Amino acid sequence: MSVSICRVMALWAVAFFLFFQFWYPYHFFFQEQNQIFLCSWDYISSYFERSGGLARLTGDFLTQFYYYLYVGATILIFCLLLIGSLLYKALENFKISKAIVLILPFVMMTFVAVCHFSTSYRLSSTISILGWTLLLWFISLMRGWKLRLTLMVVSLLPVYHLFGLPQLKKIQMPDLILEKDFAIDCEYYFGNYDQVIKMVENEDRWTDQMLFFYNLSQAQRGELPDNLLKFTPNYLGTFEKIGPDTPMLTIRNMNELYWALGDITFTERAAMMTNVFSHNNRNVRMMRRLAECNIVSGDSLAAEKYLRILDKTFVYSKWAKNIRQNGHKIYQKKMQMVNQRDTITISDNAHFLMMQLLDANPDNIVALDYILCSTLLLKDITNFKRDYDRYCIETGKPRLKPLYQEALCIWLAGTNAPQEDWEKYIRRADVFQRFQQYNQQRGSAQFKGTYWYYFDKIKAPEI
Amino acid sequence: MKETLKTLYTLVLLTIMVSCTPTPENVQQSNALPPIYPDYCDVTIPENIAPLNFLLRADCEAIEVKAGDIKINTKGNQVTFDIDDWKALMSQVAGNMINVTVTALIDGQWIEYKPFTWQVVKDKVDPYLTYRLIEPDYEIWNHVQIQQRCVENFDVNAIGHYEQLENRCMNCHTYANQDPKLSMMYVRGPGGGAILNRDGKLSKLNIPGSVYFGFSPTGRYITYSTQKIVPAFHSLASKRLEVYDAASNIYVADMQEHHVISSSLLSDSLKFETFPTFSPDGKYIYYCAADTVDLPGDIKQLQYALVRIPFDESTGTIGSQVDTLYNKRSVCHPRISPNGKYLLYTVADYGTFPIWHPEADLQMMNLETGAIDNLDIVNSQRSDTYHSWSSNSRWFVFASKRDDGLYGKPYFCYVDKDGKTHKPFCLPQLYPSFYDNNLKSFNAPELGKGKVPFDMEDVAKVMKQDYVNFK
Repeated sequence: MSVSICRVMALWAVAFFLFFQFWYPYHFFFQEQNQIFLCSWDYISSYFERSGGLARLTGDFLTQFYYYLYVGATILIFCLLLIGSLLYKALENFKISKAIVLILPFVMMTFVAVCHFSTSYRLSSTISILGWTLLLWFISLMRGWKLRLTLMVVSLLPVYHLFGLPQLKKIQMPDLILEKDFAIDCEYYFGNYDQVIKMVENEDRWTDQMLFFYNLSQAQRGELPDNLLKFTPNYLGTFEKIGPDTPMLTIRNMNELYWALGDITFTERAAMMTNVFSHNNRNVRMMRRLAECNIVSGDSLAAEKYLRILDKTFVYSKWAKNIRQNGHKIYQKKMQMVNQRDTITISDNAHFLMMQLLDANPDNIVALDYILCSTLLLKDITNFKRDYDRYCIETGKPRLKPLYQEALCIWLAGTNAPQEDWEKYIRRADVFQRFQQYNQQRGSAQFKGTYWYYFDKIKAPEI
Repeated sequence: MKETLKTLYTLVLLTIMVSCTPTPENVQQSNALPPIYPDYCDVTIPENIAPLNFLLRADCEAIEVKAGDIKINTKGNQVTFDIDDWKALMSQVAGNMINVTVTALIDGQWIEYKPFTWQVVKDKVDPYLTYRLIEPDYEIWNHVQIQQRCVENFDVNAIGHYEQLENRCMNCHTYANQDPKLSMMYVRGPGGGAILNRDGKLSKLNIPGSVYFGFSPTGRYITYSTQKIVPAFHSLASKRLEVYDAASNIYVADMQEHHVISSSLLSDSLKFETFPTFSPDGKYIYYCAADTVDLPGDIKQLQYALVRIPFDESTGTIGSQVDTLYNKRSVCHPRISPNGKYLLYTVADYGTFPIWHPEADLQMMNLETGAIDNLDIVNSQRSDTYHSWSSNSRWFVFASKRDDGLYGKPYFCYVDKDGKTHKPFCLPQLYPSFYDNNLKSFNAPELGKGKVPFDMEDVAKVMKQDYVNFK
């Protein structure tokens, strides 16, 4: 390979490495989270039940290391360079016209790199292409067409068995919005709530996914009502219902919501469903979650099932060991939030689930804020008042967030409530004063950010 | 090709393991049974069963196992028998017991555990097992398969596969009299139906609403239930899922004349009727019936009794008298042994979906004496249900969640000539760690006398054919 070709390839590699590492890194993390690779003979042997076993095995094995920073981009660029170099050498050996020898490897490398813009394009496909390129290179090393033909005929079946046929994708532009969604999801996963909030607040366009994790982060800091109206329309996730057509990402998000709320039955259900729709019907993030669920619900046998699986992973075996030893301590707070009373429901209506959680534990602030904020987003003041009475007044623990105080003003004004009710509910003089001002300039933009403005001017989500 | 590769991998694995494997020295005795998985300590097994490969739940460096004339010395914690040595051992000791000794090297010390036994009986279990592989949360599926496994070795093939069937849901492959030449399974979804196998010739039947079913002894009739199935959720995480019927009735379908026979006694609007099965002489339909209650609120009051109604196979008529046989707790899945002597069923505290009921246990009624056996040696602290008899009435298979409470696995239980049940054992697998890594339930296991004469391609083909309609 000439020095100039090496230089061009190096330049290409640096450019694509920089792109994948600095503009697209969370796509790698997403792929890692949606699969699992087990270092176990029976699991490894299952790869060879279909053609392409070696490609899938190598691809999945390497994908597990996408967990680490820089590794995803490095592995991908290394594979692409290998494909390009082998193809170049093969074409050179075949003595094909110089222009093709120079252009084709770059076209191939770029095409495969572009395929990786899609989250569903797996590394195993690239390994498959690598396998076939390797065969081409071997054939090119043979002297004479008879030898080449013989090698090709002899190798076709074994190479097909080992590497299968690569998946080809329709060419698409990089999805940088999805990358941001994944970035926020990833930061949430690692518990970096401040980072999630910062990232979303710095955006100028918001997706439901961004808002979902923003709200979830705020809720866990007890600040959901303070920030609910920062973005309109907002998305809490509480109006979703899981069915056969629900996208996997939504089911995965619901899993995070149920977990934050403390509903272990539905967390487990959403985790199992996410697994159902993941690569090979399993993914490492849900495996962790299922272990967590069962530790919280006290089902140590079931927890052990998932911890044993995680024991066989390279990245999560330490986590499993730690959870096995310290799980009860780590999830002590969560264990106190779970339902203690058994009721049965045919619906995954989040409002009903949150009521059950609050009946069991009125101190569940995440559930309290979500139930109140959900009704407020819908402008359902009657049910908001009912829930507020039930979980804030009757328990003697009024939650005096401005948002709730503002909503209560609407209810009190709308029902012509007597003075004693105003005194009972509205404990913040500043809110009462502003409400009087608002009534004089109803719908004025200077009240943007108040619930009164939202109630009068913003469209409620349709459910 | 697949088998050759598997053998190759196993050979490579064995070679690696055998090389430089330490042998026991300065052995310390232990009074405890070895913590092996699956639990094969002191179980009764048929002489035609595949090798009982197992692993030791311990962080051991090497393990030595002596079972009869077989001695295995291997690195790691997994014990895999050579199938030829195993078969030779089984035929040599059939009708007798084998002593099994496990010695393991743990933290540099060899420990010899308390020996256990395998009682090898000459009564063979039917060699084929069909089951559905599905995630335990049955509401939403993806990549469902119905597989057929030869229990005499580790051969598996799919008779219904998601790739061929547009990722549809499938359920319940059931034989008539454990005969592979007559069986039926369902493929759900638009254009789906009951796939009937008669001597390997498949047809697609449109039996309205059919869910649970059983063949009559001659194979002319099936009795089946129709139900409006509702999934529900417990708020208590340990109870998870509940499934109940908002309505259910029982019918008989004449497979020859293609018409449905009904009786007001089996489709009473004030009752739920389900899980019908013919008696081996064809004179009765056994089933479960419950008074309707308000659901889901009163689910805990939903109690199914075990009942039966006469049936005349020669005329295809349903009788007029319903007898109650058992009405304590809630009964599911009655199945009568082919010799007509025993009735095996599941009891749970309430409801009709014992799969998620940890208290669900099997019971066996002696139909000659009426005596009920609680099967203490068979049942576990988790759900034990969905059973099927072997054609010689000496074995039954059932789905048990005893290992983790989540994923059902097939367990085999021996019933000796005196009707005494023995400790069951789990379906052996080539790789002992298979169940640890598996994330699918073995659902609705059914035993068959032979391999079914069709495969997944045949099922895919028949799905494109027109229905045989029932009137």
